[in-house]
Amino acid sequence: MNAISNDLGGATGGDADPVACLDAAALAGLAQLDPTGANQLVVRVLNTYLVSLARLRQQVVDGMQQHDVPALRLAVHTLKSSSASIGALDLAALCAAAEQAVRDDQQALPTAVLERLLAEAQRVDAAVRQLLNH
Amino acid sequence: MIPAHAFDADDTPERPKVLLVDDDEVTLMLTAVALRERGFEITESGNGEHALSLLFDWAPDIIVLDAMMPGLDGFATCRELRLSPSFENMPVLMLTGLDDDASITRAYQAGATDFFVKSTQWSLLAGRLRYLLRSARVRQELERSKSKLARAQDLARMGSFDWRKPTPAHPGGLTLAPEGLRVFGFVPEDPVSLRRLVRMVPLPERRGMTRVLTEVAAQSSVLAIDVPVQLYDGRMRIVHVEAEPEYSDQGHHVGYTGIVQDVTDRRNAEDRIRHLANFDALTGLPNRRQLIWRMERALDHARRLGHQAAMLLIDLDRFKIINDTLGHAAGDELLVEVARRLRSCVRHSDQVMDGALESVGARSHRSLEAVGRLGGDEFIALLPEVADEVDAERVSQRILDAMRDPIFVAGQECFVTASVGIALHPRDGASVADLMRNSDVAMYSVKNTGRNASAVYSPMLAGRGREKLELESALHKALERNEIVLHYQPRIDVRSARMVGVEALMRWQRGDVLVPPGDFIPLAEENGLIVELSKWALNEAARQAKAWSLSMGFTDSIAVNLPPRLFSRYDLVDLIHQSVSAHGVAHRAIQVEITETGLMGGLQDMIPTLHRLNEIGVEISVDDFGTGLSSLSWLTTLPLSELKIDRSFVQYLGITPQSSAVVTAIIALARSLGLRVVAEGVENLRQMEVLHRLGCTLMQGFLFQKALPPLALEHWLQSTVLPRKAPWIVQAGNVLIEPPRTSGGGRRR
Repeated sequence: MNAISNDLGGATGGDADPVACLDAAALAGLAQLDPTGANQLVVRVLNTYLVSLARLRQQVVDGMQQHDVPALRLAVHTLKSSSASIGALDLAALCAAAEQAVRDDQQALPTAVLERLLAEAQRVDAAVRQLLNH
Repeated sequence: MIPAHAFDADDTPERPKVLLVDDDEVTLMLTAVALRERGFEITESGNGEHALSLLFDWAPDIIVLDAMMPGLDGFATCRELRLSPSFENMPVLMLTGLDDDASITRAYQAGATDFFVKSTQWSLLAGRLRYLLRSARVRQELERSKSKLARAQDLARMGSFDWRKPTPAHPGGLTLAPEGLRVFGFVPEDPVSLRRLVRMVPLPERRGMTRVLTEVAAQSSVLAIDVPVQLYDGRMRIVHVEAEPEYSDQGHHVGYTGIVQDVTDRRNAEDRIRHLANFDALTGLPNRRQLIWRMERALDHARRLGHQAAMLLIDLDRFKIINDTLGHAAGDELLVEVARRLRSCVRHSDQVMDGALESVGARSHRSLEAVGRLGGDEFIALLPEVADEVDAERVSQRILDAMRDPIFVAGQECFVTASVGIALHPRDGASVADLMRNSDVAMYSVKNTGRNASAVYSPMLAGRGREKLELESALHKALERNEIVLHYQPRIDVRSARMVGVEALMRWQRGDVLVPPGDFIPLAEENGLIVELSKWALNEAARQAKAWSLSMGFTDSIAVNLPPRLFSRYDLVDLIHQSVSAHGVAHRAIQVEITETGLMGGLQDMIPTLHRLNEIGVEISVDDFGTGLSSLSWLTTLPLSELKIDRSFVQYLGITPQSSAVVTAIIALARSLGLRVVAEGVENLRQMEVLHRLGCTLMQGFLFQKALPPLALEHWLQSTVLPRKAPWIVQAGNVLIEPPRTSGGGRRR
């Protein structure tokens, strides 16, 4: 557990680092919720996030294919806050942009934003897995 | 009163219970952890449906709802919650996204208490939750105290109202709280206007009330009035209205705010209290207090208008006899009937008036006219205006006539008469007290001259001396009030140093003063009351004889002093017989004493009674013997038992030779006639010794004991006589041992 925290410190080092898409300060904040690590909180949160991320990514993909704007909106809204919680700030920002776009225009899909969102989601997924597998 | 902190403690759970509802598992998990760390007890729920199912049988202190959720979202969940009365006031915090104005608006519409933009700054969320909990608690307390107030107002049949002045901008009008509506018998749905309420006031009072309301509103003054109101169900109620003017921020008078209260019960109670305080409970007539109040008003009027007023004091004749023979219940019955008859003799008015008299007009003093009961069998008729004393006498004659028919009480016909004393204002007295006293004087002059008549006061009646009259008046009441008591002076046989009987002596316990017999017996003899007093004394002596026979085996007799007239005019024998029979003692328990002077005064009339007394075993003693200057020949013909040597002879025994000569003669006479002889007024051992030497062994006097109340006498016997402790007992013993003459001669010097 402490290993993860230490790694997080190093993660801010450069863009090449796969975990660079996760905000170190946010992750540190997470770790402070369980300072001794006794509750394995960060591990549990990240595992939960992974499950949640997979489900929401699928919902975004389905929403795009079926042109289901409300479902899409709910998915990006939820993904926005959970991503912000674990420090995936870029992803959270993309979610916010997508959510704003569908709220402004109930008909048209912000395809470009959604594509970028899915790509960023992929990166975040990889980064979280790396943190966990370390 | 429960201290305020008691509520605080009650309402501030150490770990507030939070229901956290969010479909985002990550946020849910993190928020829960963060809040737990900050002292909250968190229950997590992933969606609205699940949250509602939890709330079915459980309640947190606060609910945090994510606004955006699949299925039942935060808004729908909140709306659903608010439908249930138990969650009406539950604080609900809605979590929304940043810049999501629409959600914020929707949150409030759905009934959320507040909103919070989701963030990872948990301390902000915790702070907001604490704030909401605190304000919820304050609100809860407010609600609680509001409902307490409403309940209290309801119990007090009270409710608040608000009245706004009409303005160009607003029509104004009256708003009554539900409790206020209830005062007037309305339910909250009823349309109630000021006009409608005013119409419920009966016409006679309506105009006055409208005037008061108009004046008060015009002057913006405080309103406080009691208004009679007829409810729609017909009941009459009295409503107290109290209101204070309300001002706008600019200082303009904009209306009134106040309370209405149903004070009917209180008014009724007040009326009852006033009635009880002013009217006699037995007869329903005005009592002394009310009478005096009315008389004072009547005298004020008479003085102002320059006319005369009259007071008639009415005292029933021999009412005590009815009370004593038929019992108090019958006596009360009779008083009620007498009251009814007296009432019909004047224009009796039952009104109790407090203050409002002046406003009713110049002839209003007529309504003061009344008959009232002073107490016992004494009544007063108050005539606020009479032309002259003939006017008053006419009323008193009506009263005497009204008593003429028999009154049936306790299955018996009773004939009641009254003595009426009349006093006029201003001639016979300027004040109520003067009139009371002088009507009393007039009334007693009737009592003394044969009763069943009336008399107008005159200074001649009072010429006998006010003090004496007052004493006489008081003496009349003394028996009824149990102020007369008997004290008992022991009669000693010095040979045995024992008590061999007592003489009953009457005392008058007048307040704190013990009036000696010399101050009231002559008066009682003069006014005839002595007869009543003597009858009472006979009965009381018989009662005491019985009491002592039980308490200390008393078998001697009690000597009762009786006036001569009792021996001639009344059936004394029957009287004594009744007294002793009533208490179950023998006739000889009573001994009668009559003075030598009294005996000589009307001997011929008394002889039959004396013989009959002797026959039934009642001994007769001649008191104050030696002062009557009578021929002693009569003594031989009368059935007497005893002579009592007058104290004046005893007083000089051993000092002047004459006194011992008289005493010697009396003793010799008594001995020759076979009569006992008793010496009175023995005050010292020398007198005792001389008497004993002369052959008189029965004595009374301060040397032995003065007259004492029954209990004190018993105590004296127990503590002094039986243990043989007094000096006279030792002395008596010496006398007994030594031959009289030798020892007496030796002591003379």
